[in-house]
Amino acid sequence: MWTGDTMTNAYELIVNILTAIGVYDQIYNLFEIFGMAYVLKILIVSVLIAVLFAFVLVTVMFLTWMERKVVALVQVRYGPMVTGPRGLLQPVMDGIKLIGKEDIIPAKADRWIFTLAPFIVFVPALLIFIPIPFGNSLIISDLRVGLLYIIAISAVSPIAVLLAGWASNNKYSLLGAMRAVAQDISYTIPLALAAIAVVIFTGSLSTVDIVNAQGDYWFGIIPKWFIFLQPIGFVLFLIASIAELGRIPFDFQESESELVAGFFTEYSGMKFAMFFLAEYAHLFAVSGIVVTLFLGGWNGPVIPFIPVQITSLVYFLIKTYAVIFFTMWLRDTVPRMRIDQLLNIGWKIMVPLALLNLLVAGFLVTAGVI
Amino acid sequence: MAWMSKNWTMTGIIMGLVVTLKHVLHIGDRPTVTVQYPYERMKLAPRFRGRHAVDEDACIGCGICEVNCPNSTIRIVKYKGRWFPELNLGMCMFCGLCVDACPMNAIKMTQDYELADYTRESVVYGPDRLLFKRGEKW
Repeated sequence: MWTGDTMTNAYELIVNILTAIGVYDQIYNLFEIFGMAYVLKILIVSVLIAVLFAFVLVTVMFLTWMERKVVALVQVRYGPMVTGPRGLLQPVMDGIKLIGKEDIIPAKADRWIFTLAPFIVFVPALLIFIPIPFGNSLIISDLRVGLLYIIAISAVSPIAVLLAGWASNNKYSLLGAMRAVAQDISYTIPLALAAIAVVIFTGSLSTVDIVNAQGDYWFGIIPKWFIFLQPIGFVLFLIASIAELGRIPFDFQESESELVAGFFTEYSGMKFAMFFLAEYAHLFAVSGIVVTLFLGGWNGPVIPFIPVQITSLVYFLIKTYAVIFFTMWLRDTVPRMRIDQLLNIGWKIMVPLALLNLLVAGFLVTAGVI
Repeated sequence: MAWMSKNWTMTGIIMGLVVTLKHVLHIGDRPTVTVQYPYERMKLAPRFRGRHAVDEDACIGCGICEVNCPNSTIRIVKYKGRWFPELNLGMCMFCGLCVDACPMNAIKMTQDYELADYTRESVVYGPDRLLFKRGEKW
């Protein structure tokens, strides 16, 4: 039906579906009468973005549940069990509790920046999802500079973290924010270098092009995922992205035993919830980017009679959840490092290795491997 | 350059990951031991020392338990014309010395351990809440 190769984003998919049903022309003509055909496009894209954000937020809410369940399984416990089947409604109850809490702003805090910081963290965390391909043609916008956009948008959050830490007027908050920013800056470099090695293979920053470049098979069996061409790059990207997320073993920004909760020590209620959701939205986004860059994106075996959009979405989500599970699993296994170890590894090991990886990628491309 | 002599193959981390994965998948002898408390209870040992109970017929009100109590938990009070112990469980440490000291084996400890309450007064268990008749469930 609507399996044409011409579709590049979700807007065209919706248009094709509406055309197949046979209502698109009528709607289009209705808007055309007023000379406002562009309004229809804006409307459809807005609805798509709303659907994407709703999907991301629901996923993120249940990632908190998944995190608690994985921790519980590792520690041979049950985890949340009371609210809903297997505690599945726990994030809903947490949300209700957080909304009901008093929204405290410390007396000595900078009120305006203190209020602004959670939004500056939260909005980029959602905006990262715009160029992530969730499936074949299931992408809001296939930006030609998609990867640059992702790295640039995710570079906004350290600013907000510093704002939050500074505005709280609390030594723990400020220390946590300083650590978070130092960590983010030192790990963005190997992250970007590992991503650039992939871009050298594809010759395009567009996420869809990157996924399409991984669609083939070697010898008809081994998928041409970049993890096989770039194993060092994959490990570097994964470690760097976990460090960017600030998760254990790199959770210096909120190390509970040293700084109470890092930069959001003073936050409570809905503002805390926004930091919390942004953290898990980043986790989801980073896992999606790892899948897109190294694990073949939405590529997988084609199943007949099921639209490729659905199968590709399922493949993407399976891979993404595998990566998320790995980060949670790692979180439950290893202890926190020291801040000097973190910066040593970041600058002395990972940056040279990423540059070496770039060189290898260049040789491979010159040799015509892909 | 101490950081350079570390194990770069990360075998320690990988071995740890294997251990935690075994936990997740319940490989080997790793049962989930959590007790979902309000819905299920742990099986108590037969000699568990919970709230006290006093045999109404056997107790002679001698006060030996009062003397033996290290925390001065027990006080002998008059109830229905006879003398019986009254326990302030807020001070009791459940040592069981009163049980050992009782010459008539009248005082014993039950398996009742849910003794949290709202006021200090309501954790003082008078004879009305402690007494039981022999043969009946306390």
